[in-house]
Amino acid sequence: MSQVVTMKSKKIKFAEEPTFTERKDYRPEGVKETGLAFVGHEISEDKTVMNQFLHYDQLYTIRHGWNSKFFIGLLEGKIMGTRCPNCGDTWVPVRTHCWNLDCNLQKTEWVEMPLTAKVHTWTVAGWSGRSSLKRLPIVLVYAIIGDSKVAIANELHGINPWDVEFNMPLKIVFKPKEQRIGAVTDFHFEPADGWKPSPMNPEKERIRELVEPVYEWVKTLK
Amino acid sequence: MARKVCIVGGATTPFDYGATGFESIEGGAAECIKETQQDIPEFLLRDLDLMIYSHFSVHFGHQLAPEWIIHDHLGLAGVPHYRVENGGNTGGSALYAASLAIMSGKHDVVGIVGWETMDSVSQSQASEFIALASDTRYELMVGGIYPIYYAAMANKWMKENKVTEEDVAIIAAKNKNNAMDNPKAQWYRNEHKYITVDDVMNSRLIAYPIKKYDCCLMTRGIAFTIVCSEKYAKKVNPDGYVTVDGMGLSSCTIRAGDRLNYPAWKERYGPGYPEMTEFAACRNSAEQAYKMAGIDDPLKEIDFGEIHDAFSTSEAQIYKALGLADETNMAKFIRDERTSINGDIPMNPGGGLLGYGHPVGATGIMSTIECFYQLAGLIPKKHLSKKTEVKDAKCGIVNSHAGTGTSISNFILRRS
Repeated sequence: MSQVVTMKSKKIKFAEEPTFTERKDYRPEGVKETGLAFVGHEISEDKTVMNQFLHYDQLYTIRHGWNSKFFIGLLEGKIMGTRCPNCGDTWVPVRTHCWNLDCNLQKTEWVEMPLTAKVHTWTVAGWSGRSSLKRLPIVLVYAIIGDSKVAIANELHGINPWDVEFNMPLKIVFKPKEQRIGAVTDFHFEPADGWKPSPMNPEKERIRELVEPVYEWVKTLK
Repeated sequence: MARKVCIVGGATTPFDYGATGFESIEGGAAECIKETQQDIPEFLLRDLDLMIYSHFSVHFGHQLAPEWIIHDHLGLAGVPHYRVENGGNTGGSALYAASLAIMSGKHDVVGIVGWETMDSVSQSQASEFIALASDTRYELMVGGIYPIYYAAMANKWMKENKVTEEDVAIIAAKNKNNAMDNPKAQWYRNEHKYITVDDVMNSRLIAYPIKKYDCCLMTRGIAFTIVCSEKYAKKVNPDGYVTVDGMGLSSCTIRAGDRLNYPAWKERYGPGYPEMTEFAACRNSAEQAYKMAGIDDPLKEIDFGEIHDAFSTSEAQIYKALGLADETNMAKFIRDERTSINGDIPMNPGGGLLGYGHPVGATGIMSTIECFYQLAGLIPKKHLSKKTEVKDAKCGIVNSHAGTGTSISNFILRRS
C-alpha cells in the first residue's frame, strides 16, 4: 500500500494581485446585455434567399494592468506619461517598457506631463464611426504633449475647423470631474490662451466650403 | 537555394455590397475555385496540400474560425489549414505564408481563400469595427476611424510633397474609371459611371483632404488563388504561369503618432524618417522584394502594379515609398499621369480598392489575381475590353497594406 504524503506547497507569486475596492457604474439606462438574439428576418420575393438579423451585446472588462496609472490620472485631471530611466525618452501614449532596443525593454517610470501641447498634424472629419456622428465636424489633431517623443490623437475644440494650423500651441482641457470616466475622452485640446488664427486664405475657404454641408447634415440626425 | 514560387490561377466573386447572389462564404469560395478550373482544367481539388485562409475580422461574420466552414465545404478535410490575419495586409500576408510554404519544400500546391463580409452591419458600424484594429484605448473613442488617421497623415504629407487635392483626385478618378472595364468591380456594379477630377473634388467631406470619392469601397467579396512549385505550374499551366521573384514584409507602429522618433527606424533610415507621413514599412518591404528580384530601378524594371489604394492619398504615398518618385517630382509624377493605363507604369488597372472594392481579407488576393491576369495575358478574357490591359506586361508589383501603414508587403511577379 502506498503511503499518502501531504505536501504543503507555497504558490509562486509573480506580481501583487490587485484588490478592487472603488467601483462606479455609469451605464446609460436601457442598455441591456442581451447576448445573442435573433431579432428579425427577410426573405426574397422568389422565396430562395433569406437574411436574418442577429443582435449581439456584451459587456467587456478592459483590464488596464500596468497602464492603469494613465487612465486613473485622467480621472484626476492629470496627463501621466512614462519615461525611460536609462535613455530618457518620454511617451504619451505611455509605454511600460522602453522602445529603444539598446535599453532592452527597460521598465519605465511614471511622470506627470504638462497640460500643454503642440499640433503635429490635423484633419477635419466630416464622417466618423457610428458613436461619433453627432459630434461632426470633428477637428482631430495629433499633438505632442510636453517633451513626449510621440504624438497623441484627440479632438481640438474651441476653434473654427478651418482655422487649425500646424504647430499651433494647445492647452489640455478636462471635463468636469463628475463627468470623467477614465478614458481619453475625459480631455480634449483647445487653442492655447492668447492664440489667434491667421487670416482667411484659399485653403481655409476650401475647408469651410467642405464643412458647411456637414453642419446641415448633422442637424438631420435623430 | 529556396524553391521558385509560382502562381497558376485564381478568381474572385463579384465584389459588391448587399445582395450579390454570392452571399454564402463557402459557396462563393467554391465558385471561385470552379472559375479557376475553367482557366486551368488540369488543376484538381485533390492537388491542394495546404490551404491558407485570409480573413480579417470575425466581427463581420459573427463567426470565430469561419475558415473551418469553408474548408470542409470544399471537401478538403484532412488537408492542413490555417488562417492568416494581419489587418488590411491579410491578403499579402497570406501570400507571403503560402510562398514560404512552397519555398521551404514542405508543400507543393497551396490554395488561398480570402474574404470579408462587410455588409453584415451598417457602414458607420463597419467603420467602427475596422477601427478596432487601431489602439482602441487611445484612438477609437476620439472620433477616430481609419479615414481620419489617413487624412491626418496625408494632410501633412501632401504639403511636404507639394501635392494638392486635385492631384490625388486624378488617382481617385483613374482607379474608379479603370473599374468601369471590370465587370466584377464594385464601382462597375453599383455607381457605374465615369468620373472626373471635379466629381472627386465635389464629393462629400470624409476627413480633409479626403472626400468620399477618394475612399475605397466597403465590400462583400471572396477571392481564391493557387501558389505552387514550378514543377506543378509546368504541369497545369505551362504557358501562363507567373513566378513570385521577390517578396518583402515589414511592420510599423500601430498608432501613427508613435513613429515620429521610433528608434528602430532611426537605426535603419536615419533621423526624421518616417515622420508621421511616410510608409516606412512599404519602403522597407519593397527594398526586400526588389533585392530578391534583382530590381535596381523599379520605375524602369516594373511594368505596372496592383497596389493598396485604400485612399487616393495613400496611393500617392505608396508611389513614393516604392521609389517611383520623390519629394522633388511627386506632384509632376501624378500630373503627368505616369500611372494611368497609357502611362509608363500603370497602377491599379483592375480598379484597385477604390474601384474593385476592399473586402479586407480578399483584397490582397484580388490584387494578386489582377496582377496574374495581366502577366498571363488573361485581361481580354476577364475584363470587358483590352482598354485596361497593360501592353506587353512582363513584371508587376503587388502591394498589400494594413493599419496606418502598420504592416505592409510587396511582391514582384514576372511572366514565366
